[in-house]
Amino acid sequence: MGADGVVQDIYIRNGKIIAKPASHEKISQTFDLAGKIVMAGAIDMHSHIGGGKVNIARMMLPEFQETKNYSEPEAHICTPNCSHHATPNTSDTGFRYIEMGYTAAFEPAILPINARQAHLEMADTPMIDKGGYAMLGNDDYFLRLLSSNADQKAINDYVAWTLHATQAIGIKVVNPGGISAFKFNQRRLDLDENHSHYQISPRQILKSLSRAVHDLGIAKPLHVHCNNLGAAGNFETTLNTMGASDGVPMHLTHIQFHSYGTEGDKKFSSAAAQISEALNRNKHITADVGQILFGQTVTASGDSMMQHLNAKLANPKKSVIMDIECDAGCGVVPFKYRDQNYVNALQWAIGLEIFLSVEDPWRIFLTTDHPNGAPFTSYPHLIRLLMDKSFRNDAFAKLNLDAQAMSNLTSLNREYSLYEIAIMTRAGAAKLIGLNDRGHLGAGAAADITIYTDQSDREAMFAKPDYVFKDGELVVKDGKVVKVVWGKTHTAKPAFDIGVEQGLKQYFDKYHTIQLDNFKISNDEIAEDGRGGIINHTN
Amino acid sequence: MEITQDNAPNNPSTTIVTCPACGLLCDNVSVEIKQSRIRVLNTACPKSIQFFEQALSDDSPKINGESTTLKQAISHAASLLKASKNPLFAGLSTDVQGFRAIYNLANKTNGNLQHINAQSMARNMAVLQSSGWQTTTLTEVKNRADVIVCIGTDIISHNTRFFERFVWLNNQKSDAMFTDSGKREVIYIGENLNTKAGISPDGRQPESVNCSKSDLPEILAVLRALIMGKNLKAQNVAGIQISDLIAVADKLRQAKYAVLAWIAKDLDFPHAALTIQSITETVTLLNQNDSNRTGRAAGLSLGGSDGDTSANNASTWLSGFSLNNDNIEHDALVWINSFNAKKLPEKTKHPLIVLGNANTKFEQTPDVFIPVTTPGLDCSGTLFRVDSAVILPLKKIRENNLPTLSEIARQIEGLL
Ligand SMILES: [Zn+2]
Ligand SMILES: [Zn+2]
Repeated sequence: MGADGVVQDIYIRNGKIIAKPASHEKISQTFDLAGKIVMAGAIDMHSHIGGGKVNIARMMLPEFQETKNYSEPEAHICTPNCSHHATPNTSDTGFRYIEMGYTAAFEPAILPINARQAHLEMADTPMIDKGGYAMLGNDDYFLRLLSSNADQKAINDYVAWTLHATQAIGIKVVNPGGISAFKFNQRRLDLDENHSHYQISPRQILKSLSRAVHDLGIAKPLHVHCNNLGAAGNFETTLNTMGASDGVPMHLTHIQFHSYGTEGDKKFSSAAAQISEALNRNKHITADVGQILFGQTVTASGDSMMQHLNAKLANPKKSVIMDIECDAGCGVVPFKYRDQNYVNALQWAIGLEIFLSVEDPWRIFLTTDHPNGAPFTSYPHLIRLLMDKSFRNDAFAKLNLDAQAMSNLTSLNREYSLYEIAIMTRAGAAKLIGLNDRGHLGAGAAADITIYTDQSDREAMFAKPDYVFKDGELVVKDGKVVKVVWGKTHTAKPAFDIGVEQGLKQYFDKYHTIQLDNFKISNDEIAEDGRGGIINHTN
Repeated sequence: MEITQDNAPNNPSTTIVTCPACGLLCDNVSVEIKQSRIRVLNTACPKSIQFFEQALSDDSPKINGESTTLKQAISHAASLLKASKNPLFAGLSTDVQGFRAIYNLANKTNGNLQHINAQSMARNMAVLQSSGWQTTTLTEVKNRADVIVCIGTDIISHNTRFFERFVWLNNQKSDAMFTDSGKREVIYIGENLNTKAGISPDGRQPESVNCSKSDLPEILAVLRALIMGKNLKAQNVAGIQISDLIAVADKLRQAKYAVLAWIAKDLDFPHAALTIQSITETVTLLNQNDSNRTGRAAGLSLGGSDGDTSANNASTWLSGFSLNNDNIEHDALVWINSFNAKKLPEKTKHPLIVLGNANTKFEQTPDVFIPVTTPGLDCSGTLFRVDSAVILPLKKIRENNLPTLSEIARQIEGLL
């Protein structure tokens, strides 16, 4: 790890990077990469690539499928066959990712009850590795445990059991308590406000779940989608949330959507400075940005409570809000971000302000919360915005003027280096999730490798790598797929007390509508057809 | 999937299985397996019994009604598809894995896909794609619903065990977390509905608004207007007293969690999608928080069978599009009826290939008939429940020599 600008040879055998072999060993194939930029395959640590709400978005928005080309000025450099609207089908998802040099993506919001669908869709997503975070914290089983003062061990066992049952690698909480509270007709829930039925607060939920994830020893910290998504003034909730875990690691996701103040005539302002300052100070917190980019997209979230409020802004005018199985919920709302809209323009600036103000690239991650802020195909464009100050300032100058007046973006002179981009999109993401053999090019790493030509136009460079290797096989040449592969599913399966199933069985039999055994996804289901397979990252 | 079967041939074994016969996907069906004879033990659901107790008849492939080898049947099917410019793959009564294989075959042959339930599916998709909706799922209904409105349907004609499993609960074994299940209010709107299942365990009759099917659009539009808070001048609509509808509207407003259920197949009249939209818009209005309401509401689309929800979901992630194709021009017909031998293809003048249930008795002899496994009986598989939220594995429970639909589709594809 940590090779910045070093010129060296890389050797691959059986899908792995190896140290220089002995001189008598025969090298069967050589690629001349002189002068090229070589990075590990990129890892998207938060992208909604599969499962119920993504499929609802596809189903609801057939008009997206018709628009093969993204007509907005923000568009990335297109390759032939490019379809990079917000809701690609599963093969387009895999192809667009690998064409950009991404070799893994993680679905961040798997409803445990719906996990089988998420895995079915990911199994049909070619080219890349995948994995997911299971959502807890709004399920009635957990809320009953917590409100009845169950001990931490019982919570830990349930969390570990969920990781096994859903074949996930991490745990996420969305609007802690809020999705459940919405089913009881609560319309907002603050960090220290009680759920009307269970009489527990989001803070208690965060404390309990972050502790469980930490105690279990999995790498991925609790993935937190804070309360009050998208609401003006929500930055205070976000700042307070950072303190809710008593120093136990947490990851705050799409933090751009949680960094809004209430200043100015429009009562909507950037709180990026406060949020970034707090991120710099709180070393136990990591975050991904959830950058918005202008154009048509769709927001697909587990946060039924806040999406129900957002539904009035839907464009086109339609939305789906669901209560799901005493487990969670979802809200799917199509959205068009416009550069002349004050709020949207400021959202764009807030995301970039956070990127440029957070000092440690190991603790901030490059995401658009695909498709919520923008389709993942806009990453090359986003990278250029981070690496090229004049490009960024030119884009800023086209924004809604009132929004420009409320942002300090042009005073931020930072330009990300290639090395920082590599950390943010590779090494940092692998470390966060616990993929020890990914995200770097050292001996023993999986040979997921992306090779770019150094170009001053970073968007062009990152849109179209010269070569991509997946597990040692050449799969992309000149930005085009030359071989179809299927990738594996990354999971974490910490040990737990199987006695937890006694209480679960009683609960399922009494209140649920399926058998406990059918809730659990077997390894065989994922390895089906010999295409997929499971990698367990628990030590 | 394991079969908990001991090998002594005359010793019956019992196992718990998942029933694909309707959209509820009951996964607590106990069956006794004795050689290849199966008996359903713990439910009187006729659909379930018919499904699990179907015999396994002649499993040989046929060309023009004459038995042949599997190899010859596959190669003949492939040659018919090769000669076709745009085949139609219809019926599509299969599970996720079967659908995926047929989807690939259709891609390879420039084929189109049309599910046997295409018409009723299209009614729901039209609403989803024009306005979206606010819906719920079966476990939420079981634990929360205090008012359930059955609109244009008695539900049980399609989903036999709906009331038994999700409404009137035996408090020993099965209960609701947030409501007293015995006190739920059931309301029917429609004609000739079997409302017996709506009687509460203590004998309370359900409410009924009796109206003909053709009056449903108007009555639901009035109900929506009432929820919107409009004052109506008329005393009655389509023979129904407005006061009766006001009473329904009041119940919906006072409910903690009102569920408005429909079955698209039962709304078989012109512009049915608009009626479904009246229902979903009523739900949306009930969920607006500006009317002093203290509760929630949700829509619930029921019915479903022959793997329709699975085919629709899989089509959507594989292609990006939902499955909603009517009246498609074609020059060859491939019919798939894995689950139900009684589902027959329409008469066709084009070459007919059937990949389906071994017990199928044809009106028109197909050019090629290849019997395939029935998921949940002859092979394992995966199905979506009608609410799309829950996806369950199906088990293989009887010995057989049948190929799976996926195997056949792949082998045909290999010859193209
Ligand atoms: Zn493109
Ligand atoms: Zn997200």
